Amino acid sequence: MSRIALVGLRVALGLLFLWAAVSKVPDLAAFAQDVANYRIIPPALVPYAAAAVVGIEIVTGIALVTGIAARPAAILASILLVAFTAFLAQALLRGIDLRCGCFGTNEPASWWTVLRDLLLLTAALAVARLGQRRPRQDSPLTA
Amino acid sequence: MGTPLQVGLLCVAGALLGIAANRFTPHPAPLGARVLASAEQPGAVCDDPRASIARISVEEAKPLCIACTATFIDARSAQEYAAGHVTGAFHLAPGESIEALLSTLRSAPLVIVYDRDRECSAANQVAAQIQAQGVRDVRVLTGAWPEWLSRGGPGESGTCGVCTAGPR
Repeated sequence: MSRIALVGLRVALGLLFLWAAVSKVPDLAAFAQDVANYRIIPPALVPYAAAAVVGIEIVTGIALVTGIAARPAAILASILLVAFTAFLAQALLRGIDLRCGCFGTNEPASWWTVLRDLLLLTAALAVARLGQRRPRQDSPLTA
Repeated sequence: MGTPLQVGLLCVAGALLGIAANRFTPHPAPLGARVLASAEQPGAVCDDPRASIARISVEEAKPLCIACTATFIDARSAQEYAAGHVTGAFHLAPGESIEALLSTLRSAPLVIVYDRDRECSAANQVAAQIQAQGVRDVRVLTGAWPEWLSRGGPGESGTCGVCTAGPR
């Protein structure tokens, strides 16, 4: 993958994380309810987890967009996406009918949502993996 | 600084930022309070307004059971059904053949489906399966079997000898 494509992927992923966070900020109480409906986190920890996830998404998004600590941010994004995918899949397998809680909308959780998260995970892993390569000295893309 | 440490720092910084900034948002997450799943909240059991199948409460369904004016369908497992079910209920789990019960269901003025689950996911599936066969008035019991029991709804036990074949 060319360096320009990699930078584009990183920035796009960062903007997506920022969008996901910003869309939840107007109603964190509703997002906490969405998190509770997954029935994974103890009820007493749900509001903390909801607020923390949004904060982590913001920090990850900023790091990916700016390129500061981009590789750790891409790894953190991958960890988040693995967790989101696992949460979604277990809810679907248990037959729990719930909202995804993904972008502050009423989007229902579905296998399509799982697939979307897996695609985003692939992108995050690509940024984390390829972002660590040192550019060749003779590469035309080397600044 | 190693990458794992940087990942950890980003994670902790983000979490602290989110928790600290929570109270400045228009509708903050209720830190310090317990947030239960919607289906576990009192009065909200199986009562999702987005549900496509109509609901009926235990209070409404009990007199219909006593007067035998509604047909009940138990969507739990056969073992759970055998251990105890609504008096006169038939057993039909999700995905099972509906053929043996079809004529009974089509002639019933009202069919009430229930399961054990607070989301009524099995009951929803079975109710949709029945509706697809042209049965018009099908509803799902809010509160499911646990609430039926706790509110003193009539029940009986034993296997369902008529659910798979033969007349009732």
